[in-house]
Amino acid sequence: MKSTRNAAVVYINSKRHELRGEEAFMMLADYLRYSAGLTGTKIVCAEGDCGACSVLKASYFGGRPATFEPVNACIVMMAQLDGCHIVTVEGLKTDEGLSPVQDAMVRCHASQCGYCTPGFAIAITNCVARGKQSEQGIKNALTGNLCRCTGYSPLIEAAMMVDAEALPSIESRYLSAVKHEDLQGITAQALHLSSESHTFFAPTTIKDAVKLRKAHSGSRLLASGTDIGVMINKGKSTDAVFISLHLIEGLYAIRREGTRFHVGARVTLSEVHDACQDLIPEFAKLLNIFASPQIKNIGTLIGNVANGSPIGDTLPFLMVANATVHTVNSRGERTIPIESLYVGYRQLALQSDEIISSISFDVPKLNETLKLYKASQRKDLDIATVSCAFSVRQARGTITEARLAVGGVGATVIRLTEVEAFLLGKILSEDLIEASSQLLQQSIKPLSDVRGTNSYRRVLVDGLFRKYFSELGGQV
Amino acid sequence: MSKLETPLSAPHDSAVTHVQGTSEFVDDRAFLYGELHVGLVLSPHARARILAIDTTRALGIPGVETVQTHQDLSHHYWGTIFTEQPFLAIDEVKYAGEVVAVVGAVTRKALIQGIRAVQVDYELLPPILSVDEAIAAKSYIGGERFIKRGEAEATYANAPFKLEGRQVIRGAEHFYLENQAAIVYPKEDGLMEVHSSTQHPTETQHLVAEALGLQQNEVICIAKRLGGGFGGKETQAAPFAVYAALVARATGKPARIVLSKDEDMIITGKRNPFQIDYKVGFDGLGQIIALDAKLYGDGGAYADLSPAIMERAMLHSDNAYFIPNMRVVGQVCRTNYHSHTAFRGFGGPKGVALIEGIIEDIAIALNLDALDVRKLNCYRGPDRDVTHYGQKLENNVLPQLFDELEQSCDYRARREALNVWNQNPRNHPRGLSLTAVKFGISFTTRFLNQGNALINVHRDGTIQVSTGAVEMGQGVNSRIARLVADEFGLPLRSVKVMATSTEKNANTSPTAASTGTDLNGAAACVAAGKIKRRLAALMQKLTEIPLDKWASKTAGFGTMPEIEVGAEAESSDAFDIDAIVFESGLVYAKSHPDLRIPFSALVSEAYFNRISVSEYGHYKIADLGFNKLTGEGRAFLYFSQGVAASEVEVNQITGEVKVLRTDILMDLGRPINHALDVGQVAGAFIQGMGWVTTEALFYNAKGQLLSHAPSTYKIPSVHDIPRNFKIDLLENHGNHRNIKGTKAAGEPPLLLCFSVWNAIRDAIRYHGLRRHGRADVVAMPIPATAETILRALKPEAFAACEGL
Repeated sequence: MKSTRNAAVVYINSKRHELRGEEAFMMLADYLRYSAGLTGTKIVCAEGDCGACSVLKASYFGGRPATFEPVNACIVMMAQLDGCHIVTVEGLKTDEGLSPVQDAMVRCHASQCGYCTPGFAIAITNCVARGKQSEQGIKNALTGNLCRCTGYSPLIEAAMMVDAEALPSIESRYLSAVKHEDLQGITAQALHLSSESHTFFAPTTIKDAVKLRKAHSGSRLLASGTDIGVMINKGKSTDAVFISLHLIEGLYAIRREGTRFHVGARVTLSEVHDACQDLIPEFAKLLNIFASPQIKNIGTLIGNVANGSPIGDTLPFLMVANATVHTVNSRGERTIPIESLYVGYRQLALQSDEIISSISFDVPKLNETLKLYKASQRKDLDIATVSCAFSVRQARGTITEARLAVGGVGATVIRLTEVEAFLLGKILSEDLIEASSQLLQQSIKPLSDVRGTNSYRRVLVDGLFRKYFSELGGQV
Repeated sequence: MSKLETPLSAPHDSAVTHVQGTSEFVDDRAFLYGELHVGLVLSPHARARILAIDTTRALGIPGVETVQTHQDLSHHYWGTIFTEQPFLAIDEVKYAGEVVAVVGAVTRKALIQGIRAVQVDYELLPPILSVDEAIAAKSYIGGERFIKRGEAEATYANAPFKLEGRQVIRGAEHFYLENQAAIVYPKEDGLMEVHSSTQHPTETQHLVAEALGLQQNEVICIAKRLGGGFGGKETQAAPFAVYAALVARATGKPARIVLSKDEDMIITGKRNPFQIDYKVGFDGLGQIIALDAKLYGDGGAYADLSPAIMERAMLHSDNAYFIPNMRVVGQVCRTNYHSHTAFRGFGGPKGVALIEGIIEDIAIALNLDALDVRKLNCYRGPDRDVTHYGQKLENNVLPQLFDELEQSCDYRARREALNVWNQNPRNHPRGLSLTAVKFGISFTTRFLNQGNALINVHRDGTIQVSTGAVEMGQGVNSRIARLVADEFGLPLRSVKVMATSTEKNANTSPTAASTGTDLNGAAACVAAGKIKRRLAALMQKLTEIPLDKWASKTAGFGTMPEIEVGAEAESSDAFDIDAIVFESGLVYAKSHPDLRIPFSALVSEAYFNRISVSEYGHYKIADLGFNKLTGEGRAFLYFSQGVAASEVEVNQITGEVKVLRTDILMDLGRPINHALDVGQVAGAFIQGMGWVTTEALFYNAKGQLLSHAPSTYKIPSVHDIPRNFKIDLLENHGNHRNIKGTKAAGEPPLLLCFSVWNAIRDAIRYHGLRRHGRADVVAMPIPATAETILRALKPEAFAACEGL
């Protein structure tokens, strides 16, 4: 490895911070509150589920223009923010006084106790900065922020009231060529941080990442770390060595080639959403109810894949979209179909030094009917009770292809291969739906947990399966 | 009378600092030199004997400065009603999450290591984990209570129509955003300064003193503001202040405790779960003639406020409806869960859920529209306006509320439309329900119905007000500031309400029961009134003196004899205060309308004439007379009332609920601040809506709470509010009993959430109707989660699965 840095660099409200030692391993929210004296950012859940800690983040990675987006400060380590700009609630006020967003919030009575308020000020600022929004657009932008006092209406009103045109640009205020140059120079160099108990590596090439993986068995690979941050906060992490992929430029690529999408390991879920909006609207729609904007702005698609949860929101879709993951290890590269990736509850069929560098998946073909379902206790920012992806092609009334995947009904997300085989070549009918539904019930083994009983999961999957096929029948 | 000069909807007094993130909460205070982090060792078991607590290993960890156990306490037990809950477990733990030891450490890292290193040996004991188990074991808190009128049993026996059933109501987490927090600064000579996120600074002060063996005058408790309370910090904030105080005393260093959401949800109690068995008799028109209900409350491990919560549930089992023969029996059960506690509405929602659900059932049984059944049973004068505990309703607007909302929400036409919509099996079933609330305002414990206030008028004419009220988002400070500003005819910016502190206001009541403004605002007006009388009397005398002889013009020297105000400041017989006008920051005597002086000039004149412009006011609610033993009497000063109509759609495949539209009409008297009141209505309603729909507490078979964070406990998000949400306030100038004709707003609107719950039940009714051609009464617990709804829609599918 060429010259290596041993301090992470983060700009906070225009001020340059160099992080070493323990401070580099603090969560951003803790650093802001307890090291930088910026107590406006609040910590409530420390798991990225309430948005009180929302701040704006921008970076230049992947050659993209830097734009500020809200993220959860409670679950992201300072080391991972290396090369980023952060604007906190303290940075919203203008020289003239309250920002138009803050002023609108005051006028609309959009705060009561005040604890969620800074997070909402951040989220609304970002929302209106993207231009005039519909009520639905505003709600989507505020999905990641919980308020227990106002009942939300005045917050929506405040966002509606702000004149987007008159809003001063956060980018022009906080970004500059000088800082850009500074960060470009910085992030071209690998990073190595250490504290008494932790080590953090950020190599600049995937090869170096593999070498580090090999040298440090048991190290934790970080795409964005939205899950690891939660584990650390809850005292459930035993990780001592982290390897971050954030300085590897090649992992930021997202492109469509023919009928396939290719998504690099550092591409966020927000970016995937935007790229898929026109070509795979069904997937974009699912991503709307996936986590929160704050999570999607740092969380990556590969992170969701590598996490391997049986209720991973994107996995059923990726399974029916014939996804393959591309990996690199010390012996070379390989491509693994996603169904073969999962061998048990959150267990992946990967070598210890193997890194997923990208994933590719099909753009649905014409005459293919893709439907994605997610049932959860609360519609937005909730973990699925069950999730389904169904995709069937028919020719002259006969089923020519069936790809069906379900999550939340076993140790991994599963392809319903027996049901698929049963359907193939048959003509859609009430009897066929009945028979395949029964086969479906035999293929799943849901558990009871905090989100629902196993019976509930069975009834849900049954209902969604029948709904899909009855709608499919309706279309014929 | 001074004119109202401040706008009707001034922003919350902290709005401008809230949006900038500069409002200071407990954990926003800068760390002092040497300040320690405080953390807790919790019992993982619902019930176990403590065999040994070994702190040696923990104390050996660098950075761990102290570990405190029950042995370090001067006094072991606390409890607002029964003094029975140990601050720190002694020989037995009685719920999973009970605090066993307290650790103080230099860093968070050392703290976590220290907590893990405290070794506690337990011997497991069998826990009681349900109301039924508690009943079987006769495990109760306090005795059985009853309220009765007429002959419920005999009338029910002979009633032409009858229904009986069991209503299960589960708990709910407050989910205030600011978790429990306290900092204790040890001061000279053993004095402790406590900063706490508490709704009850006085109790926190007293408990810290008791636990540490201090005199009450050696402890100050300050609460600047709370990031939400909702009842969860009424009693349950104090122990955390005690834990920090123990560490502060042991080490002589400032000590800070800030719970994580997980710890907070595991340790602190919830809304009491209830199980209610009822029998109701009614006639063919749907008029209720008898209600016999037995309410069991799950109090958790210790009494906390549960007996009072039960009492309020019993007092609200009538809600808006006159029930001639009624017997309500209440019993709190002792189980091995966290001690359940106050939560917005207290017990009220349990009683109201019961009767609002029953009415929906009566409508189903008789094939009537539930709104007609409600209107038929609604309290109305002159013969049907006395509650089951004997309080006559005054200024009752319930019939008017029903009529106005029925019209304004277009109830009848929408009912017709739903009848059509729900016939199509492809449509997700929709339901509509219009429910009411009649919420009694006053603490049912008489001595709590008092407040005090301190007002200091400064020489520039600005005012600081201090009361026992705690600001937790509800806007009590803004309302009190407005009342005081109006009293003196000053702009709102001239009045600041200061941090609540036991140093300024002692023996205060908790800010609870929606009475914050009623009690403390009235006390502030008492204090302001006294100052105003003195100033008015002074003004009258000043008009009789040449201007250049005023004390302030001569710095107090060489002038006329000093002016004294005596009897005229004490009684209205001696002096008519209306002769002096305070308005627009000016003061004048009606007899000398041309001589108008700034308020500040009059204050200055008072100072130079050695007349006090500071005052203390005490206020108590008169005429309360509820007898807890007989269950009779005037329990409440007045009632806040309201109605709501909600329409929902239930997804017939997943059981998920969408609230399509809610219309609310509330009677809040004459609001001091319209916008803040509407804010309370909206927030309370949505909080209640969360409770009756998505907020499910999940305990495992060992009695451990598994849904202890927002990832698993789902409060409403921005998408969950009604798609169409309209709130109106009824114009009502008839509430002469309360300060300025206002009515309390904090809790009552929460109870309108049963419009959503009953609309879900109505959708299930429609679903049954279209599938089987008949509607059955289907029991529905609270919350009606997606799973419970789907079970009601597809009972046979679930039966098939469970038969597998």
